[in-house]
Amino acid sequence: MNAVDAPAHEGQTRTKKKSDKPWQVVVLDDPVNLMEYVSRVLTNIFGFSTEKAKELMMAVHQKGRAVVWVGNREKAEMYVNQLHSAQLHATLDRAE
Amino acid sequence: MTVGPTVAGGLKLVPETEHDWMLLIGIAGDSDSDLAGRLAGLMDEDSMWDEIVVPELAEEFSKQRIQVVKEVMRAKEEDGDIHILKGSVDIWYGALNQARLALEDKYKFGAREEVDPKIFEDPSARAAYFRNNFYSHVQGLLLQYVMVD
Repeated sequence: MNAVDAPAHEGQTRTKKKSDKPWQVVVLDDPVNLMEYVSRVLTNIFGFSTEKAKELMMAVHQKGRAVVWVGNREKAEMYVNQLHSAQLHATLDRAE
Repeated sequence: MTVGPTVAGGLKLVPETEHDWMLLIGIAGDSDSDLAGRLAGLMDEDSMWDEIVVPELAEEFSKQRIQVVKEVMRAKEEDGDIHILKGSVDIWYGALNQARLALEDKYKFGAREEVDPKIFEDPSARAAYFRNNFYSHVQGLLLQYVMVD
């Protein structure tokens, strides 16, 4: 049996699929950061329009969290670093 | 204490009593030095946040606290006012935010409309609550008058 014909190991397949999923930057709600400040930070870091930043800020406020960016892990970590520097509660998650 | 915008696009704090000065000096005292560590707690283990990011953020947050205390002490020695201009607004906002995050972590005030009246039975929590509101008020003014594009 050559390598081409070899069936893929089930575990390997699952791992591959999982690692293909992009990462998402998630901003979490907190009772301290002012709403206007959160909008401002989102605009400064991600370049969102005022309307888009406000929409995401309201999602954080009302739902407790909002995905603000999706992509590769390295860049996602850079964004979370910037959000932490602005003292917002943020983390990384696998995209659904 | 009087707080208000200036024509130069800044915010002026005019302490009038020793208590006012102590309130401003206390901004750093209300903060804790582990904010960077607490934010890192939101990250997964793969991120190596503790090793790479936390030291950098801890230093950045420390600089904010030190700078604010320096500016307040300098103004106090000169018996002058405190002017927060665009160039230092992020430092001031950050230091005030650190204080509020630390107070929230300690007392769990929650959102203003959800504050448990029982906290007012504890004198230290009550005092912390009013300091928190003052810091928040100054932050609001900074956003409105100084952090404008």
